[in-house]
Amino acid sequence: MDHQPKPSGPAAAFAGSGLFAGLTCPQGAYCEAFAEDGQPREQWRAIVAAMDRATPERLRQRQERVKRMRHEDGATYNPFDAPDGRGTPWALEMVPLPLTAAEWSELERGLLQRARLLEQVLADVYGPQLLLKNGRMPAELIYANPRFLHACHGIQPNGGRFLSLYAADCYRGEDGRFRVLREYGGHPVGLGYALENRIVISRLLPELYHRTQIRRLAPFFQTLHTSLVQRSSLRREDPNIVLLSSGPDSPIYFEQALLSRYLGYPLVEGQDLTVRNGRLFLRKLAGLEPVDTIFRHIDDPHSDPFALRRGDVVGVAGLIQVAREQNIDIVNPIGAGFIDTPVLPVFLAELCDHLLGEPLMLASHPAWWCGEEQGRVQALARLETVRWQPALDRAHRLAADPHRALDEAAFAVMAQETVQPSLTPVWTQEGVHLRPTLLRLFVCATEEGFAVLPGGLAMTAHDVDTLLAAVPERLLSKDIWVLSDEPVEPFSMLGTLHSVGEFRRSSDLPSRVADHLLWLGRYLERAEGQVRLLRSVFRRLSGEARPEDIPELAFLLDLVRAIGMIPPLPENGEVPQDELAGQLTEALYRQDRPASVAVVLKQVQEAARNVRDRLSRDSWRVINRLEDFGDNPAADPLDLLDNTLFTLSAFSGLAMEGMTRGLGWRFMDMGRRIERALHEIDLIRYGLPQVCRAQHNALEALLEVSDSIMTYRARYRTAFQLAPVLDLLLLDESNPKSLAFQLDQLAAHVEELPRPGERRYASAEERMTLEMLTAIRLLDLTGLACNSGGPENDDPLNRFLETMATRLLAFAQQVGAHYLTRVAATPHFSLRLGDGA
Amino acid sequence: MKYRITHTTTYQYSEPASLSQNELFFTPRATARQQVLQSQLSFDPQPQYLHRRIDYFGNIAHVFMVQQPHSRLTLTAASVVRTARNSRLQPQATPAWEEVGRRLQAHATAEELDAYQFVFASPMIAEAPGIRDYARISFPPGTPVLAGSIDLMRRMFAEFAYDKTASTVDTPVAQVLAGRRGVCQDFAHLAIACLRSLGLAARYVSGYLETLPPPGTPKLVGADASHAWLSLYVPGAGWIDLDPTNNVVPGESHLTLAWGRDYGDVAPVRGVVMGGGAHTLAVAVDVARVD
Repeated sequence: MDHQPKPSGPAAAFAGSGLFAGLTCPQGAYCEAFAEDGQPREQWRAIVAAMDRATPERLRQRQERVKRMRHEDGATYNPFDAPDGRGTPWALEMVPLPLTAAEWSELERGLLQRARLLEQVLADVYGPQLLLKNGRMPAELIYANPRFLHACHGIQPNGGRFLSLYAADCYRGEDGRFRVLREYGGHPVGLGYALENRIVISRLLPELYHRTQIRRLAPFFQTLHTSLVQRSSLRREDPNIVLLSSGPDSPIYFEQALLSRYLGYPLVEGQDLTVRNGRLFLRKLAGLEPVDTIFRHIDDPHSDPFALRRGDVVGVAGLIQVAREQNIDIVNPIGAGFIDTPVLPVFLAELCDHLLGEPLMLASHPAWWCGEEQGRVQALARLETVRWQPALDRAHRLAADPHRALDEAAFAVMAQETVQPSLTPVWTQEGVHLRPTLLRLFVCATEEGFAVLPGGLAMTAHDVDTLLAAVPERLLSKDIWVLSDEPVEPFSMLGTLHSVGEFRRSSDLPSRVADHLLWLGRYLERAEGQVRLLRSVFRRLSGEARPEDIPELAFLLDLVRAIGMIPPLPENGEVPQDELAGQLTEALYRQDRPASVAVVLKQVQEAARNVRDRLSRDSWRVINRLEDFGDNPAADPLDLLDNTLFTLSAFSGLAMEGMTRGLGWRFMDMGRRIERALHEIDLIRYGLPQVCRAQHNALEALLEVSDSIMTYRARYRTAFQLAPVLDLLLLDESNPKSLAFQLDQLAAHVEELPRPGERRYASAEERMTLEMLTAIRLLDLTGLACNSGGPENDDPLNRFLETMATRLLAFAQQVGAHYLTRVAATPHFSLRLGDGA
Repeated sequence: MKYRITHTTTYQYSEPASLSQNELFFTPRATARQQVLQSQLSFDPQPQYLHRRIDYFGNIAHVFMVQQPHSRLTLTAASVVRTARNSRLQPQATPAWEEVGRRLQAHATAEELDAYQFVFASPMIAEAPGIRDYARISFPPGTPVLAGSIDLMRRMFAEFAYDKTASTVDTPVAQVLAGRRGVCQDFAHLAIACLRSLGLAARYVSGYLETLPPPGTPKLVGADASHAWLSLYVPGAGWIDLDPTNNVVPGESHLTLAWGRDYGDVAPVRGVVMGGGAHTLAVAVDVARVD
């Protein structure tokens, strides 16, 4: 156990000429790249040579490309608010970390053994608890450990696999040997980033990558997938596998989206899943679909708010009951986070002897548990040098004074020997530095045992403390290259898994996604309508003419008032010019006014974020431009509105173009149609009385805000007249902005929506759209003219439009109730325990 | 003594609930001084799914789901149990509390190992400053563990007010101690926190108490209630129940449902409903002697 740095001779500086010249390995640390004679180690020679050949400028360009490629793949939380890469989990740095075949085989064997061991530990802890009863494991590890979940005790996981994905943070000590610092079973993260790093680096350094015999990552994912399918098909052929995500708010959502795409498992959130009859189902538009396997990306405590007594909504209420019934395969079974217990590695050497009857090959980092007399003595003997850490609950804060912490609860304290991770070269703008490095390595269950990912996520930081604090946003990452003595077979996941998952996904989609897409469509259209209207106002205000000389301005302002963007006219009908300017500015920027442009744009972004994994990379980049709105209130409003309209159109175009004409696209387009129809009805209802109060130019303005002026000119080539204008805006089914066009599109969409059973009768949605479409087709506009008494509030056209708006809203509600219902789950508790007195 | 217990819980929803999922600790368990002669659960509407298991602490737990829209849910547990008097252990004859703490920490026997899990803080009974000081008053050095615990119970009974408005299901023990008021669940939690702060093992017991009407008045059906108390581990004697709400060592008229680390482990009914809007809850408990 005792770990004393061996004295080593003074290391020589690297003798090379280029980038690495003068790098010296400090004493007391193992240097990955250079041997003690200052020469690059065998496995590093090609990398050092390749980098030495490149000019600093070329290297800078390469690192820029790395950053950009990561951004383009969406690996950053938000590519546009973190230009310096901060806020990015495990930002990728380009120098890979190679490991020789011999080094790797030692690590691999050690990890395989630890995985076997930890799986047996879990099987015992959640089963007979013999280790506890026989005193092989301290009782506190179970009794005082929040990572032990009572609710999961006694559950027999699918295929008896208590651990199906495992991650370990390893480091290489000064003696050149690897040790394990931490382990993860509850929610091992980083696998997706390891994959993404490999994709980026192999594109960045194609020559080096292909000249070197590097083991591929894809076979590991194939193995992971095969073992999932194999375990689930014990129950059902062709199992349904989903990836349970923590949602777009998670800083590592990217990883979940990437793994979902790569493995072909639909990305779902807790609210997409529901429990019936002890089984798990995915809520889809066509109904409930059974789920056989969950690739879980939320940690243990959040997995089941019902069984684990939590108020949060991330997990799936009842999931643990489904596991009890053995109706689901979960990777990992809930409760596997027991192996995350910080102090557990201290006991693994003895447990390995006992459970496997063999010595532990890959040692744990030296540490002492203070719950035992012996451990306490060892720890106190190293009072000044050790790191005092919580032993059971990583979130627990120890008293700053170790004596005090030991007094309070010695069993909750452990002491870790100082960590001296090996150093690897890290390229920065200022040159190459040697930085301490941890390796996050991954192991998955196979049919018989386990397999190790030949690669992983190397993590570096400026100093050891930052490295150990393990905040992904403060670490850089590297691709790990496991070298092979034999030629590497090319292998790709594409074509094997990918196509199957994609195919299945396109046929139906979770109700939640459809709901978000529908609202994305509505908000986009709402934003576009508002921006177009305000732009017409600002365009007139920014000209040379005095406001009172612009006849249609009052008309436009009335429309802006009618849809609630600025306050209604006061009694006297006069608004001073400066007050109006203030009102219009607020209509643009006010955050607390539901109808302001800033708020609607925020809603667009919010809705887009919720379906981020459904949007193309390009459309996601465009949507982020909307963030600039409101950043610069001094900007010319007209420019700003022009740009925003442009961005919205670009997004609509990209999003609609980039989507297959499946149900997702239909729901988004239905949202647009509903909103556009409602907006058009508003414009005509509120605009028409004004038009007829003999304001000329008002008709033209009405066409302008309806985006139909070009169509009118092309079609009529006459002055603006009421009847043809209304015909174009209401009845003309070939004008993509007309009300009839929207209704026609809606009718086409609802015909394609999934429905249970045979289609013998029209659905409620179909009947509603047909009614609306028929009504508009039968609308008679002949004889309508302002001089014929004029359209007033009680005239037939106004009543017609009012009815139409009501019907549209009822239709939207019907679609929501039928396909998208999301009802809140409310936990209820039994009444206060009462009066026993 | 033989009792028939009828416990009815009714949820009423303002809007139809589409799905409700519940976990029940509603069926009495057998104990050293309680025999369960009959027990039956009934539901209205009938659940589509019902699952029974023995939980980690040996309690009988049911999980059930109603999967069709319903605006009302009624659960009834009807049981017949026979209880025996307590063993009339002499408090002064129990080991000193320090000795008990040492034995638990060493947990050399299976029984002590099992009791040891109830020494630690639990989700609803966190460690808090002031608790140990309050407890120590009843435990001068060398105090026999049961004598000290009975004194602690006596003090709590004298110093705390029974007040249904003072707390909710998840009021922390520190607040109960500061406010000196609460209901049986709060008193049980606080007493457990006190005993655990001394390194003793204490668990939470959920159950019922037979109430007797004032002499001359008839007993009202349904006027009884759920109750909660605690149990202390005494080496050699096993688990000894203590009821700080009533300042008694429970005997024949305390009927046990389930036990755990705290209320959260054994809440009689806990659940999640989808939809349902606001809900109201009515509980009726009847504990009647059977001859």
